[in-house]
Amino acid sequence: MKIAVCVKQVPDSETRINLAAPAAKLDQTGFTRVLNPYDAYAVEEAVRIKEARGGEITAITVGPVTVKETLKKDCLAVGCDKAIIVDDPLLAGADEAAIAEVLCAVLKREAYDLILFGIKAIDDDSGQIGILVAEKLGLPHVSTITKLELGEGSLTAHREIEGGREIVDCPLPAVLTCQKGLNEPRLPSLPNIMKAGMKPMQIVTCADLGVAPPASLVEIRQYSPPPARGACRLITADDAAAAARELARVLNEEAKVI
Amino acid sequence: MPNIAVFIEQRDGAFKKVAWQMISQARKLADANGGEVWGVLLGGDAAAAAALAGKHGAHRLFAAADGLERYDSERYGTALAAFCRAQNPDLVLIGATAMGRDLGPTAAAKLGCACVSDAIGLKFEGGAWEVRRPVFAGKCFVDVVPKTAPAIVAIRPNAFMAADGGGAAAPLASFDAGQAQAAPKAVVREIVSADGGRVELTEADIVVSGGRGIKGPENYALIEDLAAALNAAAGASRAVVDAGWVDYSHQVGQTGKTVGPNLYIACGISGAIQHLAGMSSSKCIVAINKDAAAPIFKVADYGLVGDLFEVLPELTKAVRGIRG
Ligand SMILES: Cc1cc2nc3c(=O)[nH]c(=O)nc-3n(C[C@H](O)[C@H](O)[C@H](O)COP(=O)(O)OP(=O)(O)OC[C@H]3O[C@@H](n4cnc5c(N)ncnc54)[C@H](O)[C@@H]3O)c2cc1C
Repeated sequence: MKIAVCVKQVPDSETRINLAAPAAKLDQTGFTRVLNPYDAYAVEEAVRIKEARGGEITAITVGPVTVKETLKKDCLAVGCDKAIIVDDPLLAGADEAAIAEVLCAVLKREAYDLILFGIKAIDDDSGQIGILVAEKLGLPHVSTITKLELGEGSLTAHREIEGGREIVDCPLPAVLTCQKGLNEPRLPSLPNIMKAGMKPMQIVTCADLGVAPPASLVEIRQYSPPPARGACRLITADDAAAAARELARVLNEEAKVI
Repeated sequence: MPNIAVFIEQRDGAFKKVAWQMISQARKLADANGGEVWGVLLGGDAAAAAALAGKHGAHRLFAAADGLERYDSERYGTALAAFCRAQNPDLVLIGATAMGRDLGPTAAAKLGCACVSDAIGLKFEGGAWEVRRPVFAGKCFVDVVPKTAPAIVAIRPNAFMAADGGGAAAPLASFDAGQAQAAPKAVVREIVSADGGRVELTEADIVVSGGRGIKGPENYALIEDLAAALNAAAGASRAVVDAGWVDYSHQVGQTGKTVGPNLYIACGISGAIQHLAGMSSSKCIVAINKDAAAPIFKVADYGLVGDLFEVLPELTKAVRGIRG
């Protein structure tokens, strides 16, 4: 089994965005960066497949080389075999379509049986890349999977939908996007983090891949803070029961939401 | 003329209401900027869709059914792309649902066009569409301009209000869905429902969520009872999900569902930044928590400092009284 896992480094979920007024750019300096939590499910699933069937896992990312530590700790130290980083200043501000194009250029260099993604990155919350890559490579995909069974040359995946799931049969090679619930990602051990330093990590540019930096199809105009919320009105009464009744009355008569 | 196509999602013949919300909003934009609003239906009951689409302001309904009864990304993607090539809409709106989030990028890649996820606002200015979407799970917004026509935009359920303009049924037209009948590679073998009749979190008008304050799985019934009285969906914090008290499909937050209902009631939830990220766009937020210093009160419109075990049964009773 040759497996590729496409990952992204994102600001930690604790990150506060301090944007006082609309701005053309988001200043991201000083953000703590971690592996996108959904990508951890993709990495873990790849490692479990390798443990069961053997094979090789390549972690792939587009991003500045500052991503190295994350790749080492959260991908190579938990079982990925090598990593490829596309680091190219010409990709600054690239949108989903452009990033997908670059990933395809990397993925085409090898014949992967399975290409795994997280369902979305928690910074731009877009959730498109895995599906775009599948289409551009002409491969079938199953998105938002919470369970995976591999057969011979095929797979069965459970895809989360509103109020239930679809059970999907799909031939290999295929692209999957991984949702929470698929597995419990393991943590890297210290010795494995040390050893991960020995695993190959290749850094390439678009030129190395033989592609021109792809055009973005979406232009960013501005970032703005979400509308501020008003002050909280506390509901008080003599006891809990009376407060509950008062709350119901206020929601019904004043806020008119129930 | 900026014609807007709106994808009408159906599953087993039932339409997703986000379709009517999008058609209503599209009609407002069309009235202001010219152009028509077209419903696009794959599979399902075209006559029923035409009536509802017309009521909400659609000028026409395009329908194709061959091989499209049940969703799969390959056939639906092919059909939607074929529709766009034939009719050249300027903009295609799709609900940001499980189906829409899958279909949007699939069709966009086939067309080589822009795709914008999970939008909450839409403007037409200076001949271009400007789309607003939350990023960092709602910690900030970004306005983007797609540079292609068509552009596909997924709209978050409840971002727009459905308006019944009382219009007549939209005239029906069929279209050639291309190779949409060809057998897909990835085949949906079966659809399993989790628990029947449950109100879906991302589409609900009201969400009642429980946090670690409920203390154990047996007490989630307090959340479900209030939710039932309000015809609301039941949500949860990650603490409750990770403890195994409820299924992950209930989780609200940065790594769970993002919801924007009219009313969000947070019970025994502290208001961690990752939780707030998933619900802070709710129109009205109520917090019930015994700790007056809990950060959830900073985003709440109404707060009740108290013990949820005392408050919730009474609140449920009072709600039943009001709603009959
Ligand atoms: C990468 C990452 C992603 C995350 N994603 C999410 C996410 O998507 N969603 C999410 O929710 N969290 C998420 N978290 C977790 C988040 O940081 C918090 O740990 C979590 O939201 C806390 O849940 P809670 O509010 O239920 O529990 P707690 O923080 O323990 O709060 C419990 C609250 O209940 C109150 N309480 C206790 N007893 C009672 C009572 N009898 N009556 C009334 N009130 C009572 C307490 O005062 C307290 O405020 C994420 C964390 C990380 C690191």
